[in-house]
Amino acid sequence: MTFSRRDFLVRSTGFVTVSAMVPRWAVKGAAAFEESVGAADSGRTLVVLELMGGNDGLNTVVPYADSLYPQLRSRIGIPVGSVLQLDGALGLNPVMTGMKSLWDAGRVAVVTNVGYPNSSLSHFQSRDIWHTADPLLAQRRGWLGRWADGALAGNGNPLSCAAISQNLPRTLLSDHVGVPTFLTLASYRYQTDGAHPADASNQTAAFLAQSAGEYEIDNTPAALSQVGRDAMASSDILQTVGSGYVAMGAYPDNSLGAGLELIAQIIHAGVGARILYVTYGGFDNHAGEDADHDPLLTDVSDSIKAFFDDLDGHGNASDVLLMTWSEFGRRAQDNGSNGTDHGTSAPHFVVGDGVVSGVHGGPPDLAHLDSNGNLAIENDFRSYYGTILSDWLGADADAVLGAQWPNLGFVNRSFSAGSGAARRISRG
Amino acid sequence: MVAMTSWTRETAAHLYRRAGFGGTPAEIDALYARGLEGAVSWLVDYESVPIDQYESTLASRGYDLQRTVGLQEWFLDRMAFSPRPLEEKLTYFWNLHWTSGISKVKGETLIYNQNQTERRLAGARFDDLVTAISQDPAMLVWLDNATNRVGRPNENYARELMELFTLGVGNYSQTDVTEVARALTGWTVANYNKATNYNAATFTVRNELHDTGVKTILGQSGNFDGNDAIRIILEHSDANGSVSGRFLGGKLWSYFAGRAADDYVVAELRDVYVSSGRSIRELVRAILLHPEFYEAHTVRTWVRSPVEFAVASIRMLEAQSDFSAPANALAGMGQALFNPSDAKGWDWGAAWLNTGSLFARAALANTLASNRGAAGSRFDASALLAGADASTSAGVVDALASRLNVEDVAGDVREAWIAYLETNDDGSRGSWHDDAASVDEKVRGLVHVMLTGPAFQLA
Repeated sequence: MTFSRRDFLVRSTGFVTVSAMVPRWAVKGAAAFEESVGAADSGRTLVVLELMGGNDGLNTVVPYADSLYPQLRSRIGIPVGSVLQLDGALGLNPVMTGMKSLWDAGRVAVVTNVGYPNSSLSHFQSRDIWHTADPLLAQRRGWLGRWADGALAGNGNPLSCAAISQNLPRTLLSDHVGVPTFLTLASYRYQTDGAHPADASNQTAAFLAQSAGEYEIDNTPAALSQVGRDAMASSDILQTVGSGYVAMGAYPDNSLGAGLELIAQIIHAGVGARILYVTYGGFDNHAGEDADHDPLLTDVSDSIKAFFDDLDGHGNASDVLLMTWSEFGRRAQDNGSNGTDHGTSAPHFVVGDGVVSGVHGGPPDLAHLDSNGNLAIENDFRSYYGTILSDWLGADADAVLGAQWPNLGFVNRSFSAGSGAARRISRG
Repeated sequence: MVAMTSWTRETAAHLYRRAGFGGTPAEIDALYARGLEGAVSWLVDYESVPIDQYESTLASRGYDLQRTVGLQEWFLDRMAFSPRPLEEKLTYFWNLHWTSGISKVKGETLIYNQNQTERRLAGARFDDLVTAISQDPAMLVWLDNATNRVGRPNENYARELMELFTLGVGNYSQTDVTEVARALTGWTVANYNKATNYNAATFTVRNELHDTGVKTILGQSGNFDGNDAIRIILEHSDANGSVSGRFLGGKLWSYFAGRAADDYVVAELRDVYVSSGRSIRELVRAILLHPEFYEAHTVRTWVRSPVEFAVASIRMLEAQSDFSAPANALAGMGQALFNPSDAKGWDWGAAWLNTGSLFARAALANTLASNRGAAGSRFDASALLAGADASTSAGVVDALASRLNVEDVAGDVREAWIAYLETNDDGSRGSWHDDAASVDEKVRGLVHVMLTGPAFQLA
């Protein structure tokens, strides 16, 4: 066998960008955890919400005071008089009442015009770029996976990171930190023959034994073995999460509400989760956006509001920051299908007691679109990430991102959980 | 290309796993007996294999093709039991490549028709298949070309046609996207409406919605329509020759060989594509006859998708199935067949496996292994030992491992399987007994364990 593990990484898992999507368990040394590098004992949690498909920023945070907006959005524009005003230039889509109430409580930072230059406008390339924080696509691991390798590896906690997702998000792809991935906990266990319950532990033991085995065929079986071990280790803990939990927020009946409620349960269980990831899809509104987009924003806004109500009710909010991202915004002008094609920059939300509330960045410049009719970039997405890395997670952002990016100042550096708790109490 | 000389039964089993969904012992024997070139010809020139009897059997099973789960069961049945393994494996390739999602298309008949189009043209000229899919009602709805009109074109299908389906990102410009979208204006659907549950839609060209101006696509200018755009895209060459040839050849190689193609292989496949008039069938033949397809580094590198995991389990155990349990398990395993979350479909390879999807596979394997009833998905545990030396635990392990094509695991894994057979319910180590009760408990249990192990996730 001359085919090396390194070759496997480069060559074997499929096609084009998929070949880079090798989970950390496929990596040499994955089973040999590094020494703890510390810095993982902070109680802070980051919740990442990915809006899949490219959310239309212009109909989310509406530049209502710009007379070009109703012209460009002649078919699907939000009536400018109906927006929930944030300042003299921008207002939330009127369905986002939940987000507005969080804004009114000083718990929301809106970071505008976030993106990166020279986008191909491809969903999949742009997703990979956002996941890895690398427009050159030279990074295999995700941006938070790289952080986790430095900050969390070796801490022995199988739940340092988790994804409420069908697939492991590449943002969390790391070399040394397993990421339990699930949508619900009900079936998150190794099921065995109901006719022979006494044999269950034997089957489980055999499963683990074959997952610890050495294989003559290289690479992939060892990788799959690591998934098996991660699954069993996290299952033992997760089976105890959520029992008896009473939600104290009115979660809407959709997958995002369910996902955020599960995240609230995991946070409440105090299992040491630092990064919790959740996705919500359907934002690729090339057609019929006038009918489809408002319900999606309603789901996002109501789910986030319920999530923070729930955290507040259990006294858990001050340790939590939620951030949104999406692979791109959309074309400034609507198309003939009452939709929008692929765009560039967009606003994103950061929610929690640790933010510097307000709008960070200017309104979108509708008068100076690029040659494709797309918006300019004001805030590079690596500045968006770097601010969270350094000021929320206490990381060396430059090291994670490989370069220094301007801090955008939307995280309160002097915030501590204690002050957050005090604020929550003072709000009554 | 040079045909490989060391044709063995193990090689035939590898070919069966890749060109199909895995073989039973008898099927592998039969494929082996054909020799390499005979085996590849039998697989690739599949129209010569009679299928009428299977089609009537399939029709008699009564799958409800007006429901998503029924469509899933129907396609799973075909993949498991069609006498033409490669026809279904190629159809499944096209399913992964561009199948539209029922959540948006709504009409189950449109999805069924698209699947049949993919099957009918699975090995055809790529031009014919791309044209058929570009005019396919489900696709026209799924990627919005149905509403693409002159004046303010909709770029959705134009972009994915080039990025995902024919050329790959980086091989066209945003201007090309806009111009191809203009060329495709007017290709739409008729009779797509709720009164027929969205099932009656047909392709139509509406000239009044078509942009008749001059377009410039990949350097060529003219008053192009959709057919012109497809021709220009597929004929497009750069300094390295045919772009779609490299794209499709490389992707098919990746699918069948389970690893990315080296540059020289891509170049060879590009040349086959061009010289054969862009024939999909000849590309597949070249791949399955390629010496590198049989190299050690190509064997057992393909991570089975959830669909392949379910189908291979049933095929290789010679199980019977109504495919209800597999169909219902698909979403939890990460592959809601006919309902991809976006235009790209599912990522391949290691991306299939995470902790949650592995537990979901284990749950399906357990359902199959523990079903002792007369309905659903089930196999005869004692029949799996026919012809084997079942008097020893090692004999039982080796028979099951051989049947599931996981006999190449290392000694410690084999020992773990033997230990399982010899472990009593109270956890103490005893010995294997070749009796009905032990077979019912331990052979079923070991099948479950093997199906959930690392080795079986790989084809």
